[in-house]
Amino acid sequence: MSSDERTGLYVESTIIMTTVRVVAPFVLTFALFVMFHGADSPGGGFQGGVIAGSVVMMLAFAYGIDAAREWLDVRVVASLASGGVLTFAAIGLGTILLGGNFLEYHLYEQFISHAIAYGIELVELGIGGIVASVAIGLFFLLAAGFGHAVDAPEDES
Amino acid sequence: MIEQLPVLLVVLPIIGGAIPLAASLVSDRAGWPVATLTLIGQAVLAGLLAWTVSTSGTVSYAVGGFAAPYGIELVVDGLSGAVALLVAVVSLGVLAYARQAGPHSGPFYGLYLLLVAGLTGMTVTGDVFNLYVFLEITGLAAYGLVASGRDASAAVAALKYLIIGTVGASLYLLGIGYLLAATGTLNMADLATKLGEMAAYDSTLVLTAFGLMVGGLTVKVALFPLHTWQPDAYANAPDTVSAFISALVSTVSAYALARLLFSVFTVEFLTAVPVARWALVGLACVSIIAGSALAVSQDSVQRMLAYSSVSQFGLVVAGFAIATPLAVVGATVHLLGHAVMKGGLFAATGVIERETGATTVNGYAGMGSRVPLPAFSFAVLSLAMVGVPPAVGFVGKWYIVLGAVNAENWPVVAVLLASTLLTLAYFARLVERLYFAEATIHSEPDEVPVTDGSGQAVSFGMIAVVVIAAALAVALTAAVPELQAMLEDTLPPLLNQ
Repeated sequence: MSSDERTGLYVESTIIMTTVRVVAPFVLTFALFVMFHGADSPGGGFQGGVIAGSVVMMLAFAYGIDAAREWLDVRVVASLASGGVLTFAAIGLGTILLGGNFLEYHLYEQFISHAIAYGIELVELGIGGIVASVAIGLFFLLAAGFGHAVDAPEDES
Repeated sequence: MIEQLPVLLVVLPIIGGAIPLAASLVSDRAGWPVATLTLIGQAVLAGLLAWTVSTSGTVSYAVGGFAAPYGIELVVDGLSGAVALLVAVVSLGVLAYARQAGPHSGPFYGLYLLLVAGLTGMTVTGDVFNLYVFLEITGLAAYGLVASGRDASAAVAALKYLIIGTVGASLYLLGIGYLLAATGTLNMADLATKLGEMAAYDSTLVLTAFGLMVGGLTVKVALFPLHTWQPDAYANAPDTVSAFISALVSTVSAYALARLLFSVFTVEFLTAVPVARWALVGLACVSIIAGSALAVSQDSVQRMLAYSSVSQFGLVVAGFAIATPLAVVGATVHLLGHAVMKGGLFAATGVIERETGATTVNGYAGMGSRVPLPAFSFAVLSLAMVGVPPAVGFVGKWYIVLGAVNAENWPVVAVLLASTLLTLAYFARLVERLYFAEATIHSEPDEVPVTDGSGQAVSFGMIAVVVIAAALAVALTAAVPELQAMLEDTLPPLLNQ
């Protein structure tokens, strides 16, 4: 695909831009809703993360992929992925420090009530961050075409 | 602290793997030091764990404090302790090679540590579904690593690996579904008692589950008809990755197959359903012969080594399927020894290619005098693989043959002995070229393009890895009695005879 064909893919449309601007906050809220409900009902970090990632894809369709790429700093994506992993690990290892096993949530009960629910929700948020950033990263990589693919094998999951 | 070791062994490389990704924003070269620090810690932990297992027996761990049949259990016995130590040590050793050989990007080391986490997780888990999760983590990380080569052929090989590997993992998952339907549990120890009680060993349900799970894992091990992803992946990946995955990925899958045979289906199943044992032994024998035949006919040295793995894993699986204590010890020794030898051989091909540009069997002619140290290590590793006595390759094969003789399984004995001759056929050809043939490549190294383009210089670390692998291939023989004692402490309940 040549570069002029590529730029031709994007058509600026007031309707789409306005719709996306209105809908995006709701989609992001829904993503968080799904993540938080992973503890005790269908949902969780994987599904919620994909929904959160789709917000960025919506923005890319409305405002152009290059604009979205500039708007969303690569550092945000990378720190979401690393931060998610580290959050999960920190919660798991915290219980070991308190004298229990890995991820033994109820040991946090001594600091806050409902620690099991909060612990699971934090883990789900961490997973959501990882999934969202990987989905966003894959989307931008695919959109960039094959020229860039060789120097960024970023398909971690 | 000691009782937390199994889970720390999995969590440490995951944490380590998250750091290079973030650090790559600041510095391009942060990946290697982070990975090295992580894996030194990993090797210490794995050593401690293996030592704990050898002194005080099997260690088990309930993740999240949920009791065994319902929660996820991690179990480390002599077999898994040894494999976990192998994973930690080999991945640390390959890093010494990677420092110069690259790839150098942060995400590469993230994937590298993720692969270590997946392999360790497969090793220590005591839950069949958890094993699937780690099998997928291992697979995804391995596909990514193979694709990190700069050639288009690396991407094609990774895609092929991805498609075939995913089919294999899915078959395994389907098998778990059937087991869950039969028994209602996923815990290995619980499955071992409930199979045969709740569902007869020769019921269609259990047989289907066995076929699917073993079939899925043999794709990952790369036994003969299911090996097609493997030579491409090994030959087209960067040298670092070839050495790493050829040493560990199939090895841990073969370990998982053994774990499935002994801890889930148990030897009683193999005795009650002779057709299952014969199918597995038959598959292994076909793999031994076909792998060797394909290896002999290869021109590229790396592809030859890859087909040699197909044949050697046939040997290992045959040992596990015979399932007498002696054969199992032999198969374990060969499993661990093969990992060190094959990783070392791939590392040596990388060094020789960088120094001389030789990649084919004919190209290796006369290289014994051009690159004496790597060529000598290559020759030692080759002979060890054939099974020349002081080396660890001999001990493993010898025990497997003794086990087959004890089981009076004569066709297998014949194939095992023939396999040694066949291994000699392709390795002797190479060693002969290295030392006794007229050189065919005379050009200086700087005129020769290195195919994966990841730097040409050979560092001290790269040579050291090859030499240490060759030394280990001989020295590990001394560790066999220790390993045997460790296995005999923990295996009888598994072998149950």
